[in-house]
Amino acid sequence: MIGILLARIRLFIRKPLTFVIFTGMSIGFALVLGGSGGPATVQVPLYAEDQEVQNSFIGNALVENETYSFDWTSKAELEEIITNGKAEAGAILTNDGYQLIVGVDSPNAALIENTLSDLYRKQHLEEEIMTSSGLENQADQEELLNELRLSQESPVFSISNSHFRGTNTWMYDSTFQTLFGFTLFFVIYTIAYNVLPILIEKKDGIWDRIILSPVKKWEMYTANLLYTFFEGYLQVVIIFLIFRYWVGVDFNGRFIEALLFVIPYVFAIVAMSIFLTALVKTTQQFNAVIPILAISMAMIGGAYWPIEIVESEFLLALSKINPLTYGMEILNGIAVYGFQVEELLFPISILVIMGVVMMGLGIHLMEKRHV
Amino acid sequence: MLELINLSKKFKQVHAVENLNMFIEKGEIIGLLGPNGAGKSTAITMLSSLVEPSSGDVKFNGKSILKNPAQLRNIVGMVPQDIALYSDLTAEENLQFFGRIYKIKGVELKRKIDEVLKLIGLTDRRKDVVKKYSGGMKRRLNIGVALLHEPEFLIMDEPTVGIDPQSRNYILETVKRLNREKQITILYTSHYMEEVEFLCDRIYIMDQGNLIASGTKDEIKSILSAEKVISIKADNMNDAFIGSLKENPLVNRMVVSEKEVTIMAGKEVNIFSPLIKMAEDSQLDLHSLDIKTPTLEDVFLHLTGRALRD
Repeated sequence: MIGILLARIRLFIRKPLTFVIFTGMSIGFALVLGGSGGPATVQVPLYAEDQEVQNSFIGNALVENETYSFDWTSKAELEEIITNGKAEAGAILTNDGYQLIVGVDSPNAALIENTLSDLYRKQHLEEEIMTSSGLENQADQEELLNELRLSQESPVFSISNSHFRGTNTWMYDSTFQTLFGFTLFFVIYTIAYNVLPILIEKKDGIWDRIILSPVKKWEMYTANLLYTFFEGYLQVVIIFLIFRYWVGVDFNGRFIEALLFVIPYVFAIVAMSIFLTALVKTTQQFNAVIPILAISMAMIGGAYWPIEIVESEFLLALSKINPLTYGMEILNGIAVYGFQVEELLFPISILVIMGVVMMGLGIHLMEKRHV
Repeated sequence: MLELINLSKKFKQVHAVENLNMFIEKGEIIGLLGPNGAGKSTAITMLSSLVEPSSGDVKFNGKSILKNPAQLRNIVGMVPQDIALYSDLTAEENLQFFGRIYKIKGVELKRKIDEVLKLIGLTDRRKDVVKKYSGGMKRRLNIGVALLHEPEFLIMDEPTVGIDPQSRNYILETVKRLNREKQITILYTSHYMEEVEFLCDRIYIMDQGNLIASGTKDEIKSILSAEKVISIKADNMNDAFIGSLKENPLVNRMVVSEKEVTIMAGKEVNIFSPLIKMAEDSQLDLHSLDIKTPTLEDVFLHLTGRALRD
């Protein structure tokens, strides 16, 4: 078994290109589409109808916002950006209020509005306090404002919210969506193309040679599948590490859990690949089926877009037999919804069951059909 | 040493091998001859315990290997028809891999690798990746891998397919040496009758899943003792001449190629005069008319009515 593992590692070192390409593509797509590639996140063009807004508390707070990139622009340019779809939403600000211009009705539009209304509410509150205080000296007013802001940063009560998960409520985070989606999508290719050598080795007679040796058949399967799992998991770990420590995505403070709980998904994909290898007759068939299957899985499993926006009952039913759906559920559960382990047990169990069933069927079929 | 008893293999409705009976004694080189699709590869995968027969038995030293294949697997070396190697690894790395799966380690593994590389003439190219090798070199390494654990019994499935004559001769000489110097018992399958004639002590001939002849070379050739084999060569071989040969009752069997026709006729029959007359009538420019020493190819023709490489 060690001999087989060593040979696989040696082959990987000699030809790492496939692994590098799929890892690179996962990172690239997640960076570009997830908006985690640089300091800017979602672009929001702003136009100040009253010029003093730009230098006000609201203007400064918007420019310093880390979630969205608020950029001052002219009214015409703002309209052009929204019309051309270069930004999902923009806003026209006045001293007393704002007008939100929505180009694409996305979760971000609601969040931008929240940000704006929050700031105007704060400003209004500060103005009310100033008026009520009766202070006329500007230095006193500023001192009061500073004290007020300081006290707001250290509140007397800390309030935390928790809620039951409803079927109609969902949260969207474009960074996590693309990071998890493309990681889980591209790892299918890495894993599948690592199971494929079993088919090739059987055809070429290498498998026969190993069968005639003292190596047991279970050792042959274990070594190959263990290696495949290792390479697939390594890809996920590398991508997550890059996003955690280079891009700065904090995984909601649960990075280790994300790494651990993705293991059932990798296992299920290894099992699915061996099952697929057993069903096809040639490598050509395998090469044709893998992209179709992987893309279909990504589309109905919520890798490309949130599964919550899919409305077709048929597609939603199909997603229930798709390992990627549960992989996304686990990762989003950890990083976006902040679920506890107990809440993740259901998707984990489904993936383990899928893995065991497909692995068993795959090996059985393979043995029956080939040697 | 090894016996195949009424061995059959059926794939759906196709009988790949039917009631095959063979025996192999220690130290022999046995040839299994037959055209493509004759069932040779199926037969050897059954006797090497890789495929379970539909019926029949394989006995090694009197014991069935179907239930306990380990006793045979321990002493067998397999040279498959395909190049069963990792093309992205070097010759040395391939040998290391196959050595390790036979639990050969350390100094012993290194010694055996050196020995095998020397035997197959690849010592100088040991560090090259296999995909850069010529067809002949790959074939030699394919054999080398099977020799690493010093098997007593070597099964070679068409080991010279698709290679140049020089590499072919090298492989044939190597096979002879292995048998002579290391007393390895060899089962050699091929559809090249010259190879089998050159190498083998005894020969089994298969066609369409059945054994059609067996024995030593002389015994098999004696099947043709009642017939003579005549080769007719002409530059303008034509349909009229071939047609008249087909209609002639003195001609038992014939094989036609571009400029040559091989026929078989009874030993006592005077066929030359009719042949010359037929050639004249067909306006054939006869090049030669020879009586040949029968070959295994001729025996196959006699038994099946087809050439070995049809």
